[in-house]
Amino acid sequence: MVAWAVVTASLALLLAVAAGYLAAHVAFDWLARRYLIVSGAEYLVLGILLGPQVSGLLSETVISNLAPVVTLALGWTGMIVGAQLELRELIMRPAREFRIAFAESSMTFLVVAALEFVALRSPLSDTSAGALIAAVATGAMAVASSGVGIALVADVVGASARVLDQLRMSARIDVVVAIVIFGLMLCVHHAPAPTSRPLTTTEWAVVCAALGVVGGTLFHIFLGDTPDRDRLFVALVGGIVTVTGAAAYLRLSPLLAALFFGVVLVNTTARPAALLETLTRVERPFYFVLLIFGGATWVPSHRSLIAPVLLFLLARAASKIGGSRLAARMNGALGELGEHWGRGLLGQGRIAIAIGLSYVYQEDLPYQNLVFTIAIASMLVTEFLSARIARAAVTAHLDHGEA
Amino acid sequence: MRRVFVLALLFGGMQLIRPLGSPGYGSESLLAFGFLILAAYAAGELASDAHIPKLVGYVAAGIAFGPYALKTVTAEAVADLSPVSSLAIALIAFLAGAELRWSEVRARGLAIIRILGAELLLALVAIATFLVLLRNHVSFLKGNPFAEVLAFSLVFASIAIAHSPAVTMALLSETRANGPVSRTSLGVVLISDVVIVLLLTATLAVARALVPPAGADMPALTIFAVAWEVIGAAIVGVVLGALTSLYLRFIRRELFLFAMLVAFFGSEIAGLLRVEPLLALIVAGFVTENFSRPEHAAAMREAMERAAAPVFVVFFALAGAAIALPDLASLWFMVLPLAVVRSGAMWAGCRIGIRWSGLAPEEHGVLREHLWAGLIPQAGVAIGLATVVARTYPSRGGQIQALFLALVAVNQLVGPILYRRALVNSGEVPGPAATPAPLPTPDSA
Repeated sequence: MVAWAVVTASLALLLAVAAGYLAAHVAFDWLARRYLIVSGAEYLVLGILLGPQVSGLLSETVISNLAPVVTLALGWTGMIVGAQLELRELIMRPAREFRIAFAESSMTFLVVAALEFVALRSPLSDTSAGALIAAVATGAMAVASSGVGIALVADVVGASARVLDQLRMSARIDVVVAIVIFGLMLCVHHAPAPTSRPLTTTEWAVVCAALGVVGGTLFHIFLGDTPDRDRLFVALVGGIVTVTGAAAYLRLSPLLAALFFGVVLVNTTARPAALLETLTRVERPFYFVLLIFGGATWVPSHRSLIAPVLLFLLARAASKIGGSRLAARMNGALGELGEHWGRGLLGQGRIAIAIGLSYVYQEDLPYQNLVFTIAIASMLVTEFLSARIARAAVTAHLDHGEA
Repeated sequence: MRRVFVLALLFGGMQLIRPLGSPGYGSESLLAFGFLILAAYAAGELASDAHIPKLVGYVAAGIAFGPYALKTVTAEAVADLSPVSSLAIALIAFLAGAELRWSEVRARGLAIIRILGAELLLALVAIATFLVLLRNHVSFLKGNPFAEVLAFSLVFASIAIAHSPAVTMALLSETRANGPVSRTSLGVVLISDVVIVLLLTATLAVARALVPPAGADMPALTIFAVAWEVIGAAIVGVVLGALTSLYLRFIRRELFLFAMLVAFFGSEIAGLLRVEPLLALIVAGFVTENFSRPEHAAAMREAMERAAAPVFVVFFALAGAAIALPDLASLWFMVLPLAVVRSGAMWAGCRIGIRWSGLAPEEHGVLREHLWAGLIPQAGVAIGLATVVARTYPSRGGQIQALFLALVAVNQLVGPILYRRALVNSGEVPGPAATPAPLPTPDSA
């Protein structure tokens, strides 16, 4: 009976992924272009519905058994972020774009983390340390912005305005900053290694970076000079699985280690286009896995969660819009970008879910359910309409400029 | 040199990481999976440089880094990665089925059945006779009445004659061989799996009648269950193949993901309906190949081959990691003669079968000389059948399983080398793979 239930759950999962995948092609691609709706949140909802909290079709055992696949999806996500940081392309961008992006992400992190710390510390926390850890994680999640809506607006509106360039750059930097903050937090708060002397924060950070760098080096030695695409695929899969597995085994962030791996790969390979094509070909399955299992893994917090979740949503929106305006003003770009350009960064995509899941997978961290609930709520509220919000921000500025 | 450096770097890295971490959320199995992909692939290339099939390198890497040697990959990680093996078997089966063309089945089917019948029968009789003659040296036969000795010798022989579609497919894919030897050997090994399931059912029924299993954890292997296992698999395969063809006709997108889904889905459905998964996927591949447009079928095959590349590497490495070196060491005096008897019987059986086959006389020479080598490798479904025997007779079955796995270990290492040599010497391997100097054949030795 148990075996039957588990098999049925596996089949249900397969059907869900297959149906979702077909829906993404048949329905959501069309919907995205026609109505500027970003696909993604529906998979999260599907995961919640299939998971133990609602239908129980995906039991906790099944979810636990498939945890390595989800961890691999985290690594793949981190690697894709890293692979977009090609230095040859980045150095062509104006320095001001980076200053604005970093200023906005720093302000968002500080505001959200500080407010969440205060909120968690007073009514919920037993210790300040626990509240601080959860606040830093939520701050990191707040920084992450989805570039999907922005890309959709750029495709549909067809505008090549300065504001779109800045939005693209800011979304890219936001994601990197979010992953780095979260990864460093895990280095700071690291459980002692079982059989060796406790490593310091710096040593863990070096280990995390080394996983990516050594993995990238190994990839090149392994691959050699061959242009064989099958070999490239095997090398890539072997590299990312090893780096992700090692980071998870060491209780570090698979996202950060894989990000380093992606950065090394894209900046050292002679064929970045082939690499990116191979990477993106497998991106979509992992995207489904991440969101469906993210939803299925969700457990409601036993503590009062409405206030911290609402606070997060409001603080994030305010700091994104206010922070981006302030960053633009500090860099003398407010006229070019408009006062509301930061609205385009409100979309909260898969990175928040990835960070939330990574947080849950670290067994000894406090407020796991609360932090993950915040990630899910934020994505559900913002991602669906992120392209419409971004378009509103872009067209408002263009109209204003033209006027 | 570069490959040795990769292996050293990987091994050193694993030694550094191990003491610093702890397993959780399957991280250890993920790490082992990544390590095996890279280490086994590098070992496979080392083997290729030495004109040995890559998959022998994969198996050797599994043995070297597995739980019985360097212990880089633990027994727990090997067990955790068993779904990878299931996926690999599903992909292999689908690809094997896709290799079969309807026109070829019509032209060569009867000949394949005749060859298969001759070689399986001869091998069955030879192995059973060998065990009966040496019954005082075989732990699960010693001191038993003759009828029991005969029954359990036949049980062992009926799994020991199994072949390996996985090895055959992997070698054909690696060498790109095409010709009478490769086509006939593929046909024989594919059909043999079905025959062996039926044969084991019969021999096990005889054994159960003579020695009823006491309180064993074993579902009854009735004739109806076996019939359903085969017929149901064919039905599942046809439905899955038809759905795949429809997808290729009307959608044709994201074939890489679709290929993985088909393999997973077929494997799960077969498990759920208790039908033979290998046969179901073979039929699905066959239906897809023969009922889709050629360009669509080719695109699907290519997507599946690409998805299978890293999975195959780990599959064979895991097979190597599962080889119990202590058992192999303690049973070598029995295993090596058994392997020789099995190979000799297959060699003779092939020659007899080819004479009866009705194939064109110009094919007889090359098949007589080389076909037997394609039937030596062993793995896959036979290991599962040995587990069935072990569950039926926990004590005696365990001894049968240990001896069988030791035999598999030998055939898994030697078989691919013999098969590759046969493909090269028969002139069916195109390009540089055909260049190595021919080694002496058994006939000439």
